[in-house]
Amino acid sequence: MDSTQSWIVVLGLAVGTFLIRYSFIGLFANRTMPPWLDHALKLMVPAIFAAIVFGGVVMMGGQVAGLTHWPRYAAAALALVAAVASRGSMLVTVVVGMAALHGLPWLVSMA
Amino acid sequence: MKIATYWRDPGTRAAFWDGVRDTIAVVPSYLPFALVCGVASVNAGLTTSAAVALPALVFAGSSQAVLTQFIQSSASIWVAIFSGCVINLRMAVYSAALSPKVRQFSTRHRMAIAAFLVDNSFAFMQKRELANPKDPHLIAYYAGLTAVFWPTWLLFCVIGIFAGNIVPANWQLEFAIPLSFMAILVGSVRNLPMAAAALVGGLASIVLFALPLKLGLIVACLAGLMAGLMTEKGALLWTARKAG
Repeated sequence: MDSTQSWIVVLGLAVGTFLIRYSFIGLFANRTMPPWLDHALKLMVPAIFAAIVFGGVVMMGGQVAGLTHWPRYAAAALALVAAVASRGSMLVTVVVGMAALHGLPWLVSMA
Repeated sequence: MKIATYWRDPGTRAAFWDGVRDTIAVVPSYLPFALVCGVASVNAGLTTSAAVALPALVFAGSSQAVLTQFIQSSASIWVAIFSGCVINLRMAVYSAALSPKVRQFSTRHRMAIAAFLVDNSFAFMQKRELANPKDPHLIAYYAGLTAVFWPTWLLFCVIGIFAGNIVPANWQLEFAIPLSFMAILVGSVRNLPMAAAALVGGLASIVLFALPLKLGLIVACLAGLMAGLMTEKGALLWTARKAG
C-alpha cells in the first residue's frame, strides 16, 4: 500500500467517524434519534463484534484455518470461558487466550 | 464561554480530576489492545506516518483493527473505509445520548466534545450519571477521561507500530484482536436477541467470507440484525401464548 492510499484510508475513516460522533451532538442537534434506529444499532453491534471474533479465529491469511491449527480453536474456547468467568475483562481474556495458543502445543509436544 | 471560566469553578476541577483518576485505573485493560492495533496497522502495509495518524485521528480501536484487517485482505480501500464506519455507527447512539447535555456549548466546543467520544468514556459517563443524574459537571468529567485516554491510547499504538518489526511473526500477536472483541462481546451482550444477533452474525461472516468486494462483514451484520429481530418477535409470541 503506497503513501497516498494509506492516507486516503486513514483520513476517510477519520472523517466518517467524526461525522457519526458529531451526528446528534451537532448535525441533527435538534432531533432525537428515531427509536427504530436506536434499536437496530443495539442489535448490530454484537453481530459486528462477533463477526470480527469468528473471522479472527477461523480465518488465517484469507483461508479457513484447518484442524492442523487446532490451538487457535482450543485457545478461543478457553478464552471464551475466561471472558465469561471474568465478566468480559479484556486483560484476562487476552492473556488466557494467548497463553493457551502458545502453551497448548507446547504441552502436547511434551506429552 | 471561555474554558478558563469553567476551570475557575471548583466543581468543574474536581470532576475533571475524577475523570483523570477513573481512566488511569483502567489503562492496563486497553494497553494490550492498543499495542496490537499498532502492530497490526504496520503489518497490514500502512506507511508509518499514516499508521501513527490512525489512532490519533480515528481514536477507536475496533474500527482501527477492522480497517487494517481489510487492507491486509486487500479489499478495495473504499470497502475498508465503509466497513470501519459501519463498526463506528454505534457512536451515533452515544452522540444522541450526549446531545442534550452539550446544548450550552458553542459549535467549536461541541465539535471537540464529539471528536473524542469512545465506548470507554461513554460507559464511564453513564455510570457517573446513574450515581448523580443532575451532575452539572459531566462534560468536565468527560474532559478528564479524555485527557488520559487519548494520549495513552496514542502512545501505546505508536509503541506497537515501532515494535511491529521487532515482535516475531510466530508470536501470532494478531490473535489478540479477536480475543479483545470476545471480551467486549461477553461484557455487552445483555439478552437473548443480542446473543442471537452475535451468533448468527459471527457464523454468517465465515460462510460469506468469499463475497465479492469483501462485503461479508456488512452482510453478516445485517444477518445478525435480522436474527435479533426475529428472536425478539419469537420471545413476544412465546410470552403471549403463555399469557393466553
